[in-house]
Amino acid sequence: MNIPLLGISVWFVIKIFVLIAMLLYIAFALVIVRQVQLMTKTLRVGFEFPLRTLSLLHLISAAVLFALALIIL
Amino acid sequence: MPDIFISPEEEPKRQEQAAPESYFSRPKRKVSVEKLYGHTHNPLTAYAYLPERINFETKEKEEKVVLLLRRHPITNVRWILVAIAMGIAPLVVSLFLKFDFVPAGFRLIGVLAWYMITFAYILENFLNWFFNVYIITDERIVDIDFLNLIYKEVSDANIDKIQDVTYKMGGVTRTMFNYGDVLVQTASEVPNFEFLAVPSPDKIAKILQDLRIEERQEEIEGRVR
Repeated sequence: MNIPLLGISVWFVIKIFVLIAMLLYIAFALVIVRQVQLMTKTLRVGFEFPLRTLSLLHLISAAVLFALALIIL
Repeated sequence: MPDIFISPEEEPKRQEQAAPESYFSRPKRKVSVEKLYGHTHNPLTAYAYLPERINFETKEKEEKVVLLLRRHPITNVRWILVAIAMGIAPLVVSLFLKFDFVPAGFRLIGVLAWYMITFAYILENFLNWFFNVYIITDERIVDIDFLNLIYKEVSDANIDKIQDVTYKMGGVTRTMFNYGDVLVQTASEVPNFEFLAVPSPDKIAKILQDLRIEERQEEIEGRVR
């Protein structure tokens, strides 16, 4: 399925949008990591390691998903 | 009439009467801290009395944390239910709708992205609950607000600046699970501190009252830090 006149596939355009959205999502995941770092400095209750791990895991998953989208789509 | 002679046997009794005992001074007696109501080592608790491993940015060396408070865990039920619904949504949708016109790769990435958003939703709500804490120390009250992912606010007021403590509990859920709001009016820069949906508000109000008495006692005795 192509866009009339331009001759570009609709799915290619969607892929570009998906990749842009995922890049923004990675930025959001980075903000979470930074904020968790700052908050665990503000308040230390002995649960810092699991929180930092979770936020990093989220960032890594976002990066992996972006790479996956780049390859699969 | 002033006493001319005080029997040495009576004197210690009088001294005991002169110093009113406060809730906070209880651990000075040989009562184990472990047995006190609310004392726990669980970092995920919503009510921790005399927690041992709590530390915050502006805490002074000699300052002792008396209470750490968060919203009652039952307040998390709503977002947990939403997260469960988000978790099963792709399965339910696939039962009713067929996305055959969408290429397989897009379907796969779509589902994975959906679960990623679900994960972020859970993480953000959990962080919101976990980092929104109210800390009461022997010197002041501290309110740490984690309003959203890019905004935090930390405010505090000295115990001797507290003017009025009010607590309110209302509604079926709050009565059932024993949680409510504690409103603290102060003479400091932040006029009102609101401890929202915290467990055992009556006990918190009592502890704050005892700390104020303790602070006044310290002032009279000249032990102010």
